[in-house]
Amino acid sequence: MAAMNMVQALNSAMDVMLGRDPDVLIFGEDVGYFGGVFRVTDGLQKKYGRERVFDTPITEGGIVALAVGMGAYGLRPIVEIQFADYIYPAMDQLISEAARLRYRSGAEWFAPMTVRAPCGGGIFGGQTHSQSPEALFTHVSGLKTVIPSNPYDAKGLLISAIEDDDPVVFLEPKRLYNGPFGGRPDQPAKSWAGHPDAEVPLEHYRVPLGKANIVRAGQAATVLAYGTMVHVALAAVAECGIDAEVIDLRTLSPVDVETIAASVDKTGRCVIVHEATRFSGYGGELCALVQEHCFYRLEAPIERVAGWDTPYPHAFEWQYFPGPDRVVQALRRVVEA
Amino acid sequence: MAEQSLLEAIREGLHEEMARDPAVYMLGEDVALGGPFGVTAGLAEAFGTQRVVNTPISEGAVMGLAIGAAAVGLRPVIEIMFIDFITLAMDQLVNHAAKLHYMSGGQLKIPLTVRVQCGISGNMGAQHSQSLEAWLAHVPGLKVVTPSCPADAKGLIKAAIRDDNPVVFIEHRGLYWARGEAAGAGAAVTPIGEAAVLREGEHITIATFGRQVAAALEAAAELAPQGISAEVIDLRSLQPLDMDTLVESVRKTGRLLVVHEAVSEGGIGAEIAMRVQQAAFYDLDGPILRLAAPFSPIPASSALDRFFVPGKAEILRAVRGAFRRQGAGG
Repeated sequence: MAAMNMVQALNSAMDVMLGRDPDVLIFGEDVGYFGGVFRVTDGLQKKYGRERVFDTPITEGGIVALAVGMGAYGLRPIVEIQFADYIYPAMDQLISEAARLRYRSGAEWFAPMTVRAPCGGGIFGGQTHSQSPEALFTHVSGLKTVIPSNPYDAKGLLISAIEDDDPVVFLEPKRLYNGPFGGRPDQPAKSWAGHPDAEVPLEHYRVPLGKANIVRAGQAATVLAYGTMVHVALAAVAECGIDAEVIDLRTLSPVDVETIAASVDKTGRCVIVHEATRFSGYGGELCALVQEHCFYRLEAPIERVAGWDTPYPHAFEWQYFPGPDRVVQALRRVVEA
Repeated sequence: MAEQSLLEAIREGLHEEMARDPAVYMLGEDVALGGPFGVTAGLAEAFGTQRVVNTPISEGAVMGLAIGAAAVGLRPVIEIMFIDFITLAMDQLVNHAAKLHYMSGGQLKIPLTVRVQCGISGNMGAQHSQSLEAWLAHVPGLKVVTPSCPADAKGLIKAAIRDDNPVVFIEHRGLYWARGEAAGAGAAVTPIGEAAVLREGEHITIATFGRQVAAALEAAAELAPQGISAEVIDLRSLQPLDMDTLVESVRKTGRLLVVHEAVSEGGIGAEIAMRVQQAAFYDLDGPILRLAAPFSPIPASSALDRFFVPGKAEILRAVRGAFRRQGAGG
């Protein structure tokens, strides 16, 4: 075991997999010599060489396309899209090629590839460096979508993603790279040091895809969150004293409906929290599922706390960011309904 | 009343808008030749190839060019041949078209219309049959409309072209040759953001759009003599969504079935379910139901079509199931 922040945990996952499996390789913009803009691949080129960890031109479509072809021929590429905001130029390769390959070839071909992309805001990145586009991937069959909220899960989930035989979009909330964040920018930034989920085994381990994690048990309401919003939800629950159950979804597709439904059946109330734009965001899908499975147990309308339906603003970042105050208000609405 | 096909109605709308405003022009693969389905046939002859411009097969470049033209005062109408290929223009559409008005503090307007066709029809398989409206509706700054009949097709294409924001106009390929009442020459625009209640009912609301509207109406007609009175709403505009009409209807009927051809997971039905349960929770007599394609790529085999495309039979089953469920559990 070692204390790691999320950057180090992700790096360790890739280090372990490069060491175990000669078919694993890493490429993307600045991931090689420089070690990635967020240092996630730091040192890996030096350790494993330029054949297995290499830089590419700024061409997201080309990066994903290369990974599809390599995956089809038996390699297990991990690619980095520098910001999730720049995954759009690769959408065709990701949706029409990667996600469709197994189906279209009658399972003769498949693409075991992992697309890592830092996502989310809270870092003063503005409209094109803060987006959370997960709802684009969860709407596509043939893709899995994963988003960790702490270093332990980050390593275990990334190893599971790399070992998965189908394409996985692995979103990394960049606000969590260096520490947990409860959504209060006026308070001093915390590091992962001393956090129980920052104790990370050095060796290989998996956190299974498709399994949510109940991070706080409770009776009064269920909060469904992922990524940065797990910490915001925990902060909100601590502040308002409502005995809410907080579930970290960890994998958005396939989603762990059993854990979600069991919780809402118990509490009868549900708040969904995400950072992405509200309209047609992943919260809509969660809500539809919850009311389909738990309709006769629901005591109050399902509430949703999300980014507003605007581009991610520069100047009003903390008005856009769904902070603990908004989560508390939603919790009060569901318990008082 | 005169009849026309949906395809002819779109063409007529384009023709009238090009005649009305010299800033309107068209760009896209084969548009000067009429496009793959003939929607733009005759426009190059009428307005010249300076205003109806063929492009290379490069969706990102077409979108980028049109955004620039829109920013400096033109009103481009571009055609992306299949919505599946909008994936190639997503960066231009999401990070530029949708955001420039915002990022420029309102100094730039992007009056851009993006015509795309979608849907399962003609065994075109996994890469030429998708319905991706939920993606586009998720992007702040874009409007998304989709007509189900010729009159709306003409009215909405005119509204899209006159709108100062980027509008994605989605045409269901399976409706191109469907005939209906023509709006007539010089007809008014159909306002974006207004749903249409096509059949009034008391017991359940069926909300849908595009090709499923006809299936819903057929199902409602079949349910009526059996004592189930279904209200059918054609959403027409998916972003913005006409929540007033939807909520008013569900408050009355107590039940909602949303039907669409996109896969269920993360489809627009999810967003509708979220909003309606929030606004009409205490009026609901049963869970909001979604009827949509299964979570799978779309098959090329016509034998599999019926498992993917909802239709009258599936709507009937879903509606009857909703009432049985009440007897069993509610």
